[in-house]
Amino acid sequence: MRRRLLLHFVLWSALFAVFVWISGPIVGLAVMENRFGPTETNRSIDAYLGALTGIERGSEKLPETFQRLGKNGSLVIFVRDENAQSEFLGMMIGYVSWPREVQVIQVPGPTVEKELADIKPESVAGVVFCLVEPPTWLQNSIRLGSGIVLVPVTQASP
Amino acid sequence: MIVLGLLAALFTIMLAGLGVATSIFARGRRINLVECVCLSWLLGCGIVSLLLWTCGAFCSGFLLQTVVTAACLVLAVAGWRAKRHAGAKFYVPKPATVTEWVLTVTVALEIAILILVAFKHTLGWDGLLNWEIKARYAFLGGGTIPASYYSNPGRAFSHPEYPLGIPFTELWLYLWMSEPNQFWVKIIFPLFYAACAPLLALLVARLSGNRWVGLLSAALLPFIPSISASLGGIVVGYVDVPLSVFYLAALGYLLLWFRTSDARFLIVFAACSASLTWIKSEGIILWVVIALVGLVLSFAKRRLLQFLMSVTPGLIVILIWRIYLRAVHAWPPSEFGHPSFSVLRKNIGRLPDITKILFTELSSMAHWSIFWLIAAVAVVYLCASRRLDRIALVCAVVIPAVLYSLIYVFSTWPSYSAHMTSSVPRLLLHVMPAGWLAIGLALSQTKRETETL
Repeated sequence: MRRRLLLHFVLWSALFAVFVWISGPIVGLAVMENRFGPTETNRSIDAYLGALTGIERGSEKLPETFQRLGKNGSLVIFVRDENAQSEFLGMMIGYVSWPREVQVIQVPGPTVEKELADIKPESVAGVVFCLVEPPTWLQNSIRLGSGIVLVPVTQASP
Repeated sequence: MIVLGLLAALFTIMLAGLGVATSIFARGRRINLVECVCLSWLLGCGIVSLLLWTCGAFCSGFLLQTVVTAACLVLAVAGWRAKRHAGAKFYVPKPATVTEWVLTVTVALEIAILILVAFKHTLGWDGLLNWEIKARYAFLGGGTIPASYYSNPGRAFSHPEYPLGIPFTELWLYLWMSEPNQFWVKIIFPLFYAACAPLLALLVARLSGNRWVGLLSAALLPFIPSISASLGGIVVGYVDVPLSVFYLAALGYLLLWFRTSDARFLIVFAACSASLTWIKSEGIILWVVIALVGLVLSFAKRRLLQFLMSVTPGLIVILIWRIYLRAVHAWPPSEFGHPSFSVLRKNIGRLPDITKILFTELSSMAHWSIFWLIAAVAVVYLCASRRLDRIALVCAVVIPAVLYSLIYVFSTWPSYSAHMTSSVPRLLLHVMPAGWLAIGLALSQTKRETETL
């Protein structure tokens, strides 16, 4: 009986020792990385938009830009299919453009031609290209940051 | 002012939860303060978020904040009156040996470190775009999310169908801080951990009779890399750890009720299991599993009716949320197809791949170290004990993991394996604290029970 108890003790001690031995360095590294703060209100959005597009304080600048498109009309966002960075940027644009309605369109290639023709301009305030190249013939395009272009659709503006 | 607002928000959440927890435990004469505080956070979050959602249908802005604050105060007063009426007193369980002292200090230090670490990171992808987004939109809408949000296909990426337990807890903080502050809102997640660790220690100690084993389980808990070092953990603002804490509490108190027949434990089970369905859609799977496990236990105990009453709140939350989503024409989720036999027959060939991915994940050292190996050893121990409650615990750990894997048979992603690889680590987190409960009980299995191995 004593041997069984000893086995029980040795088994669990060994398991816990290996567990901590493996996870200790991983957890330790995670605890040490980064530093506390900054305590800014839009810390997460700004960090992501900054990393993706190079725009500083994107949580303030982008909504201001979208407000200039007028009150009505939705925002069409083009993103690259199966490109996580492009899709994430498209979602971020959807996030900051609230309360405007958004339509996210995934395109297979790096440029947009056919999909653009399907848009009804009367209900759209602007088109945003996230890591997607707008057609060269499209005028009035505004480069908001690296990999992000806004094209206002004038018909929908007041 | 922002920090003052934050403290007021946390205080009101705790006050509401403390009121309810005290009311439940008042009949016991002696109320464990640590247990009460841990449950206060869990119950408080559930109560405040539900109040915000329901009261938000009738009022908004400052009035909404006032009404919910008043309700929190009423609950606190009700708890205090119940305690006074029953002549109950709070007590703090003190460590009895040097080992217990060392483990208690370790657990406290770990909690402090994890609170600090949470503020070193930004919100993760899902933390921002699935959860915080709803809190922000509700804040901008004066405390309510406009119906247009749910029906806009362009924002379907943010899963409008997910319940509002965590987003509306975040909203409560925003209302008190008067701004949607993405830095301070992260305090919610380590606080769930701070509730989880002592609760795990307490539940293991009560169910095993060994306090040091409970404390050891709690002290080892943060060594799982998924909690602090990878996606889904508390540092990125995902709801998976909060969901796992509710599951642990529901399961632990169900087992305590089975052992003691104390109705107070069943009330806590009812509240925590109902909260599962209010935190995340996957909480319904956990709720079904725990309801089935409870059904078997209550049948064996001949207390079926009492148990059925305790699962009613969860059922009500599920139904009301479904009706609400239908009323606001919520955009349907598109990640999983409607489960049917024809789809099952068509995709049954995925099973070998799914099993392979599951085992690859379970053996991932970067995510879990050897946690699942230890849990597997614990499962063997508990099955060998041939006791119904221990086998029920095994089922409550194993069945959700199996069901979570099987749902990928219905995945609509172009690559179901990519879908599973990206999300199954977070789903496994849901049963992780319950796994520690199993480990704690296996570790402290009596001599006679270990001899049967």
